[in-house]
Amino acid sequence: MEPIIETRDLNKSFGSFRAVSNLSFTIGHGDVYGFLGQNGAGKSTTMRMLLGLIYPDSGSVFINGTEFNNSRRHLLSQIGAIIERPDMYGYLSGWDNLKIFAALSDKNIKAPRLHEVLEIVGLKGREKDKVKAYSQGMKQRLGIAIALVHKPQLLILDEPTNGLDPQGIAEMRELILSLSREHGKTILISSHLLHEIEQIATSMIIIHKGKKVVEGKVNSLLNPDDSLVEVVLKPTDDITTKLASSAYYDNIAAFQPDMVTFKMNPAHTPALNRWLVAEGLDVIEIRSKHSLEAYFLSLTNDSVIKN
Amino acid sequence: MRKLLGILAVCLFVSIGTIKASDADKLYYSLRTKVLSVKDYTADVRMKIDINRMRIPQLKGTLFFKSPDKMRLERHGGLSILPKKNINLTLSNLMPDGKVTVIDMGTSTIDGKKLRVLKVIPEDELSQIILAKIWIDEANMLILKTETTSRNDGTIAMDLSFGKYASYALPDRVIITMDVKDYKLPKGITLDYNDVPTPPTPPGEKKSKTQKGTIQISYLSYDINKGISDDKFKDKE
Amino acid sequence: MIQLLRIELYKIFRRPRTYISFGIITAIVLVIQLAMLSDGKSFLSFIMSGVNEQFDIQGNVLNGYLVTYIILQSLLIHIPLLVALVAGDALAGEANAGTLRLLLTKPISRAKLVLVKFTSSVIYTVLLIVWLAVVGLFGSLALFGQGDMINLKSDAFVMLLQHDVMWRYMAAFLFATLAMTTIASLSLLLSAFADNSIGPIISTMGIVVVITILSNLELPLFDKIKPYLFTTHMIGWKGFFDDPIPYGAIGFSALVMFLYTVGFLATTIFYFNKKDIKS
Repeated sequence: MEPIIETRDLNKSFGSFRAVSNLSFTIGHGDVYGFLGQNGAGKSTTMRMLLGLIYPDSGSVFINGTEFNNSRRHLLSQIGAIIERPDMYGYLSGWDNLKIFAALSDKNIKAPRLHEVLEIVGLKGREKDKVKAYSQGMKQRLGIAIALVHKPQLLILDEPTNGLDPQGIAEMRELILSLSREHGKTILISSHLLHEIEQIATSMIIIHKGKKVVEGKVNSLLNPDDSLVEVVLKPTDDITTKLASSAYYDNIAAFQPDMVTFKMNPAHTPALNRWLVAEGLDVIEIRSKHSLEAYFLSLTNDSVIKN
Repeated sequence: MRKLLGILAVCLFVSIGTIKASDADKLYYSLRTKVLSVKDYTADVRMKIDINRMRIPQLKGTLFFKSPDKMRLERHGGLSILPKKNINLTLSNLMPDGKVTVIDMGTSTIDGKKLRVLKVIPEDELSQIILAKIWIDEANMLILKTETTSRNDGTIAMDLSFGKYASYALPDRVIITMDVKDYKLPKGITLDYNDVPTPPTPPGEKKSKTQKGTIQISYLSYDINKGISDDKFKDKE
Repeated sequence: MIQLLRIELYKIFRRPRTYISFGIITAIVLVIQLAMLSDGKSFLSFIMSGVNEQFDIQGNVLNGYLVTYIILQSLLIHIPLLVALVAGDALAGEANAGTLRLLLTKPISRAKLVLVKFTSSVIYTVLLIVWLAVVGLFGSLALFGQGDMINLKSDAFVMLLQHDVMWRYMAAFLFATLAMTTIASLSLLLSAFADNSIGPIISTMGIVVVITILSNLELPLFDKIKPYLFTTHMIGWKGFFDDPIPYGAIGFSALVMFLYTVGFLATTIFYFNKKDIKS
């Protein structure tokens, strides 16, 4: 089966700034793909190139094996997308917005389908309200409804959790998972909330400074043994000797007098804690970094990604 | 001898002139009486105003006249335009009234008709009219052309043609030729759409500020001496 | 295309801002009509002083037709702003609101979107002019009555018989629509360049004002370019109130504005087709 998305050597510069550089990747059917990168790494630019919003300087995009530029209209009818904020016509109701964008989708979409997607995204009952009165979460949901309404195979969601509160983020996570599992959509999702992506993505692509760093199945890329466990301690003089003679010596990834970082499976944290206490060290805090975050940091090795 | 002959000739000329002058006086006064016999009239008219820089279509209307000097054009709700002159543009107004000096200028042929030409000078020094020249069809006792020089309005010429109202000395058609001053509006007010660029004035040729304009009035029918109230001539705003 | 146009018109006419223009036109027209009702006579004697010196004009000079002409003369200069409010907003407003990227992820060609935006702007313009005709012409006729129309040019006095005026207004409104269509296409072009609507609206007005000044400057330097400036031709509607009507000049004006419109529209499509949507 052809990949649903394939990019070949995409390049894009804005002035002297190289936003995307020789980017090639493929996305298969049915997966949830995490598209990761720091702010400014080129995620949005790439997603816009997939949708024909931005023209690559060179390289090409294939959707279902067809070159995008050769069949733009047909291919766009198979894609639903939210790019950055889900901006809509605030002076119109949610229903009007949905109806407008449904009418633009090249398919004859009737009212029952509109009700159906409103049900899916959980906006039923609020569709007659003006969009300007919607919360950010409701706008995101309406955005997804608009992306879904014409039953596309592929959803491209750029930062769909942006601006949502923790509950909203959790609800969005559930929604995306159900779209993938119950509705069989292929989803390309970008986010900087790495642990969110970790919970829903089956595959991922990480780009850094416009270049692909890694691409593959989450399971095969992320090894729990590579997680980072940070231990905040009360500094003592003999801490180095105690650590040097311990079984955890090989796991030390970084050392500071008041904080030691171990590279290890978070499942072993209780044992580590018992050993620290037994050695008479005063433990103030132990925290484990998610494996994706750790992995991401190890690959991009730049500034810290904020949660 | 030569001197004597000269005096004789002058005497002869003066005496002939005097005889002629009395004929001419008679002619003029009887013509004036005829013209003045019309005290008022209401006429259906067609009026064509042809004045440089004034583009006015043919106007149909009713012309009211009341002796001596009241005139009004009524246009069934439309606008009436008449030149504003110190003397009214009626035949009776273009013929000097009161005591006049009439000089017979002999005859002149216009359109194949032999016409007597009179010069009429009012004796009243305050009269608007300084001089009137009148071409007369003696056989029909009709004035076919006048040229009146006035104190303030320059020279006004009138060409008349007569038909069935000739017995009242009322013409079927009058063409009035007069002096019209140019006017100009500041451009800012009008924001003109200049379809045709104004042709430049040739050097040395001064644009004259006064130009000739004509008004042609065709009288279709008259109602004569039926009495018209003065109210008819008051401004209706 | 029809579906897209219906949606576009729906968006335009569901937006309260759209009706501001109709309100502005009504307000300006009413103000001029009231001013003419209260002080029209002295205004008239001021502008007609040159003619009144020599001619005695009687009747309803200050009738609905003349008042409409005065309204159009002062208002048609401002209507470009109202047209720009919608046409300048057409693409830039969507870019600013962020809806443009959502629109363009739908299967619509960009050229079609530009054409639809243009068409809807023209429809809006037509409605503005129709509204102007209703409140300006028919309103004035109701208030001031009918009559022969006097048109004062700086070098001529034109009088039109009342039965001969209405069709001239219809032709003038049609011409004004073409002129405003040119403005709409200019505004749309500027709208394609911008990501917020203030820029194109102000730029449209700026361009119109600057070129109008150039059109009206009596300098030999500008005489050569004047016939090619669209603002020179925007007042071509006045030609219909002349006698004889300068059909040749009006036709040329219409042609110039048509060519400008096509040029602006083609440039908009060309540019917008290549534009990266970063908003």
